[in-house]
Amino acid sequence: MKKAFFYFSFLTVLCLSACKKETENEIDTEYPTIDVTAASAFPKQCGEVSRGETFTFRALLGDNTALGSLSLDIHHNFDHHTHSTEVETCSMEPIKVPVKPFLLIKSFPIPAEQRSFLMEQQITIPSDIDPGDYHFMIRLTDKEGWQTIKGLSIKIK
Amino acid sequence: MTIFTSMQKFICTFFLLTSLFSNAFGQNFNLGGLISDGQRQPISGVVVSVSGSNKTVVTDRDGHFLIKSLDSGTTTIRFARLGYTAIEKTFNIHTDDLKVHVILVAEVRQLKEVTIEDGHTGQKNKTESLNIQTVDAAFIQRNLGGSLMKTLERLPGIKTIGIGSGQSKPLIRGLGFNRVVVVDKGVKHEGQQWGADHGLEIDQFAANQVELIKGAASFIYGSDAIAGAIAINPAPIPMVNSIGGSVDLIGKTNNNLFGSSVNLYARNKQWFLDSRFTYQDYGDYRVPTDEVYVYDYQVKLKDNFLRNTAGREIGTHLNLGYVNERFRSVFYLSNTISNSGFFANAHGLEPRNVDAGMHDASSRDILRPSQKVNHFKIINRSVLEDGNHRFEGELGYQRNLRKEFSDYVNHGYMPSVYPSFMTVPSDLEREFDKVVYSANLRDRITLGKHELSLGLNGEHQNNGINGYTFLVPAFNQYSIGSFVYDKYRLNDNILLHAALRYDHSRIKMFSYTDWFPSTITSGAVAREEYVVRSSDLKRQFNSVVWSVGANYNLDRFSLKANVGKSFRMPIAKELGANGVNYHYFSFEKGDPSLAPEQSYQADLSLEWKAEQWSILLSPFYNYFSNYIYLNPTSGHDTNYGAGNQIFQYAQSKVVRYGAELQFKIKFLKTLTAEALGEYLSAEQRSGDKAGYTLPFSPPASALFNLTWSPVLKNRPEGTYFSIDYRVTSPQNNIVPPEKKTPGYQLINLQAGTKIKFYNQSLMISLQAQNVLNTRYLNHTSFYRLIALPEMGRNIVLSVKIPFSSIKNKS
Repeated sequence: MKKAFFYFSFLTVLCLSACKKETENEIDTEYPTIDVTAASAFPKQCGEVSRGETFTFRALLGDNTALGSLSLDIHHNFDHHTHSTEVETCSMEPIKVPVKPFLLIKSFPIPAEQRSFLMEQQITIPSDIDPGDYHFMIRLTDKEGWQTIKGLSIKIK
Repeated sequence: MTIFTSMQKFICTFFLLTSLFSNAFGQNFNLGGLISDGQRQPISGVVVSVSGSNKTVVTDRDGHFLIKSLDSGTTTIRFARLGYTAIEKTFNIHTDDLKVHVILVAEVRQLKEVTIEDGHTGQKNKTESLNIQTVDAAFIQRNLGGSLMKTLERLPGIKTIGIGSGQSKPLIRGLGFNRVVVVDKGVKHEGQQWGADHGLEIDQFAANQVELIKGAASFIYGSDAIAGAIAINPAPIPMVNSIGGSVDLIGKTNNNLFGSSVNLYARNKQWFLDSRFTYQDYGDYRVPTDEVYVYDYQVKLKDNFLRNTAGREIGTHLNLGYVNERFRSVFYLSNTISNSGFFANAHGLEPRNVDAGMHDASSRDILRPSQKVNHFKIINRSVLEDGNHRFEGELGYQRNLRKEFSDYVNHGYMPSVYPSFMTVPSDLEREFDKVVYSANLRDRITLGKHELSLGLNGEHQNNGINGYTFLVPAFNQYSIGSFVYDKYRLNDNILLHAALRYDHSRIKMFSYTDWFPSTITSGAVAREEYVVRSSDLKRQFNSVVWSVGANYNLDRFSLKANVGKSFRMPIAKELGANGVNYHYFSFEKGDPSLAPEQSYQADLSLEWKAEQWSILLSPFYNYFSNYIYLNPTSGHDTNYGAGNQIFQYAQSKVVRYGAELQFKIKFLKTLTAEALGEYLSAEQRSGDKAGYTLPFSPPASALFNLTWSPVLKNRPEGTYFSIDYRVTSPQNNIVPPEKKTPGYQLINLQAGTKIKFYNQSLMISLQAQNVLNTRYLNHTSFYRLIALPEMGRNIVLSVKIPFSSIKNKS
């Protein structure tokens, strides 16, 4: 009986350890990165842009294998409903009811198989929209479907 | 590589078997038979033990048992089951095997049913080829968690997907949602199984016994039981001419929960009434940190409370039944209501700016975002015995109404101010209204060595939606299935099983058009469009599944093997979703052409029971030819998806395997130790995510327990002191949109005793969960993605006060 138990335990350990070797497959588990720390990057947390003007959205995108796509969403935060994803908090204007808030939902292409890409896009703010607190949401995916979100608080003057 | 190693595992297993088979014993006598109650209802789970030896068997579902290899002469056998008076009988075996019929008398219910001994590992049913584990009310009281599923999480192979302190759904061997069937009083429990952010609408105080089937059980339970089934059974029928009840009192320190469950029952000879009312009220739960990070934004927590996670639960149950010697029919009426808040600083993955002062004014209020779920049920369950037939039938009506409340926020192209023409309240984000009619019919026929079961299941659902956001279309669906299952006793050691099942189902989805226009841009042209999110769609599915299995029982050794095919019909969300889940930054797209999911599974269970110890190993191997999976792609959709990442339902080949191990040893009469382990691996073998695992794959974990159960003078049995040490490995094998989760170690303590109180046994249980107040993340928790730590130290006190009386006339 002891022999049987010995076999049992030995084989159990063997079988379980055989399973263990499975996870060595090379899969990408890294999220892409959105870097707005460079001096030339724009906008930054608590940054300002002006109505009727055009600015250049500039951010350095990176991934360990290949970048996917980038989607940009600028929407109002007059009701202070959401928060930025950043450490720094910005001074907010009082809560107000939107009349004609600015909304931009746009995606920008990234060339295929890039591990690093400097996104530079001209964005024009119409002159007849509500000024105030806005969110500048950047969503970046990589080829495998990992998505990184950066929500910056900006002001439109 | 995987095929090789899993093959290797099976080869190992077979070596293992042959090494054990070689220990076959000499020929002796067998004693078998049937155990029933006074009403001739078979009693399952009766522990049949031979005095003066360690031979112990347990009766199967139909009350049968078999003890092998008895020496000739006089043998004394003890029959014991919770809720019944244990008896000892002496038999003389001389020339031939013996068949006996034993009648056990029920004790007054709830007086003695809460004993401890067979809760933990659960006596394995030696006549089922499926891997079944049974726990009773005592296990639930002893390990009481925030919800029934959380309580069951102690068992190897069972995990939960949960949100907050009171809601969770089961994961069996890493599969959950619509891949696990929960059967309540014989009828499939239908809620919004696909969602991770709410629980099951089950009152754990009303659950008297829970059976867990790990592994494919589609051939009995139909579509969805592809990973397993959890069957919840109500309290047994009270004894003739009895009246009684019990009061449960519960308190928890972490979320300041207080609750009570009151039960009253009465029975004359043939009629009985059983009622229960449960109320639980809890505040925000506390975590071992005073700040959490939503992305990089620091959220300060007041006194460690996770803002707005309070809740309330109310359960009302009324059972009315008729019993005679051959027929039994019971109506079960129940209504559960739960209202709970979501963590306020993030809705889904979206960071929220909150009025901390308003939320922190009270830790017990439920503000927005929050959810309300109401589940109403009427079930009739009837059994008729006629000769060698046993007819069983269930009829059910259920209504599940779930509402999600959140202040209106204009996401995407939604208008910035909630329009006055809207009839949907401005805080009703989503509503799901499900009405389900079910019917089951079974006949169990005993024909010599065959036990044949024939069955028919039918279900019809109407699903309505409401709210200012759209995720899943409204739909109607019906399904009908029939099965035949044969259990054949080849000889005293071997049982063979075979089953075949056919299902047909139809689904009809209804179109939905956005109430606001979106800006659709093609090239340089932009236009306003009321997006049609889902169009009318009809699909029908047919499926044939099968299962074959065997049991081999030899004295101390027992083996179960089962191979089968299972299936699952695609759900409305998988076929017809086309909505933006703004809180997840995802645009979820269904695929109307999906085929029914098919799975092949092999299960094995090997057990060795010695006098002082026992070991049980249950490996499994599972292959899906088309696992339906919500695949996060690299694309964004700026038109219909309002700029969000496209999550596309897709099908891929998946290989899964794993094992659970249970080891128990008795050092002294009063001191036992237990080790429970589980390991699981899943890999997608085709499609966009080939090489990746499946979402919500639990990491490997082990639980070590030491229990001291002293026998105290002048006290009823049932005093225990117990320590659980759980080690969970890190989970680095992830798939988008998951995050790697570090490993952790937890210590839980349990203690309890019984006190005689006016001739009743008052039961007191005390638990200290997460004793060291460890800060850890649970890989399968809904809040994992925003890195919210799990609940800190929690002391749970529960007291059960039973009362009863029996009139002596009959």
